[in-house]
Amino acid sequence: MAASFKPIRSLLQTGTNTSSRWFSYIGLGIGVLLLLCSIQMFINIQQLLGGETKRKEGYDFISISKTITNETMGQLEKNLFNENDIKEISAQPFIQGVSPLVANRFRVQLSAGDIIPFSTDMFLESLDNNFIDTVPPNFSWQEGQDYIPIVFSSDFLEIYNVFAPGYGLPQLSEATASQVVVYITCYGPNGLQQTFRGSIVALSDRVNSIIVPKNFLDWANNKFGNTTSVRASRLYIKTNDANNPDFLNYLQQKQYKVNKDKTKFGRVKQVLQGIFSGLGIFGLLVVILALMLFSFYLQLMIARSKDNLQLLLLMGYSPNWLSKNVSKQFIPVYILVVLVALALAEGMQWAFHHFAMFDRPELSAVLHWTVLATALFLIALSLFTNYRMVRKLLYRLV
Amino acid sequence: MIKQLFPATMQLQLQQLLPVYFDESQRSGSEVWRKDLSFTKGEYVKIVAPSGSGKSSLMHFLYGLRNEYSGNILYNNRPLRLYTAEDFASYRKDHVSIVFQDLRLFPEQSVFENIELKRQLNPFHPAEKIKEMAERLGIGNKLQAKSRICSYGEQQRVAIIRALMQPFDFLLLDEPFSHLDDKNSQNAMQLMLEEAKLRNAAIIFADLERIDYFPYTRLFHL
Repeated sequence: MAASFKPIRSLLQTGTNTSSRWFSYIGLGIGVLLLLCSIQMFINIQQLLGGETKRKEGYDFISISKTITNETMGQLEKNLFNENDIKEISAQPFIQGVSPLVANRFRVQLSAGDIIPFSTDMFLESLDNNFIDTVPPNFSWQEGQDYIPIVFSSDFLEIYNVFAPGYGLPQLSEATASQVVVYITCYGPNGLQQTFRGSIVALSDRVNSIIVPKNFLDWANNKFGNTTSVRASRLYIKTNDANNPDFLNYLQQKQYKVNKDKTKFGRVKQVLQGIFSGLGIFGLLVVILALMLFSFYLQLMIARSKDNLQLLLLMGYSPNWLSKNVSKQFIPVYILVVLVALALAEGMQWAFHHFAMFDRPELSAVLHWTVLATALFLIALSLFTNYRMVRKLLYRLV
Repeated sequence: MIKQLFPATMQLQLQQLLPVYFDESQRSGSEVWRKDLSFTKGEYVKIVAPSGSGKSSLMHFLYGLRNEYSGNILYNNRPLRLYTAEDFASYRKDHVSIVFQDLRLFPEQSVFENIELKRQLNPFHPAEKIKEMAERLGIGNKLQAKSRICSYGEQQRVAIIRALMQPFDFLLLDEPFSHLDDKNSQNAMQLMLEEAKLRNAAIIFADLERIDYFPYTRLFHL
């Protein structure tokens, strides 16, 4: 149909209900703005607190243990990880690897020989090599070898240096520590005992323990502790993002204990994401409310122009053509409303980036593409609901 | 489709038509109700109908405004009952034009706008023709006036001109001259006859009594 809609426009009486129309436009604008800002802030949090930017080495490694409560105290079975626990943990999508920290099941004594008159009961643990941050090539052991390489926690060395002067022991630098030969004596049942030489081959910032090669500890647990299946009291977990809320939820739900400091960003992120999700849902509700208000306005407009529209239909104007053209009238205004909201959201993002975040490189001053996509979606949504509404009302007049 | 297959059989058929709100006594003596009739292009049909005999009902049925009737109305062998809203739109835009007894103009629009709204829908004439016809019927100076401030007689002429702006096969007239004097009526009739001839269209003219200056080819009493 080649007919022009221009002369028909004046037949649609918008008259006195201009204010309700403007209220719905403003409502729609506020709702869209809230929604867009919430989405953008949600993305900002992701970008600021991990998530999209991985650590340099790519993964976070953290150790978890079961929380020992008054009820489980003394019940070793309940406080250790069994095969099923490990399987279940490694099956989680946010966990890239699990390795148990296996401890010795026999008595170990460590002495520093003649140079440093120091001797103490000790513990040893073993861990998969690829979970240790510093693994020198000589970190290996074969049966029959009486030398044991040790990966030592830097924290432990620091603690030693703190108390050493009080006991009249020499403080050790990292370089010296690795030169000291220590003697490790393993005690088994029936007076069985064997002494090995050992030295620190590497210091680890990551693992808070004294790590020996895995095959040595397996062999020693078997020989001195008479056990082959040693359960782990700690697990080392390799994950893309220790601050992933899913990961934290999982740990919480399982009551696993974790270093709170390593995951504190994640907890903050959980709360912030919750707040902005809430705000986003609120924005969506406002959008829906505004669209409803607008549909009331449309109903009122069509009811007021009912006689004119009916006469147009009577004259042979196609109801389909009319509904398309009537709803087309609102396209520019919808687009304008969403564009203004988009511009305001962009202004807010720029201000947030510049003034609150001091131009941090993880963040962008421009809106994320999902925000733009949402804006487009909202335009499409409002046009569609509008067209459906007009069409329904017009066909009712036929 | 049908139009392409049978271009010559442009027909409006009435099959046993009767308003549902009519009782049997009202149809007795009628030459239209409960009869099988067929109108073709080029015919001039006069329907003489006293008040209350269902004249406006018939016109509304034929135009597809109402469907409270038993029997059938067929345009080109297709029952109007099967028409969708879109079908009716093209029926009224391309094939059937009407002058209502109650005129049905847009009160707040000017005379010109009222006519133009119809013309632009499916232009049979250029826009200049509006002025020409208005002058011929004596309302040339009213074109810019709002239609609600025109007299009923003037509005009747606006409705007539409006009906002549589109192509049609049938022109339905429902007491079109009720407020016009003889001279103006004849003038308007002449214009409508010319326009019908131009389209080889039929005129179905319903009025209270016979009108001499309508050269009908068939006469029915409702």
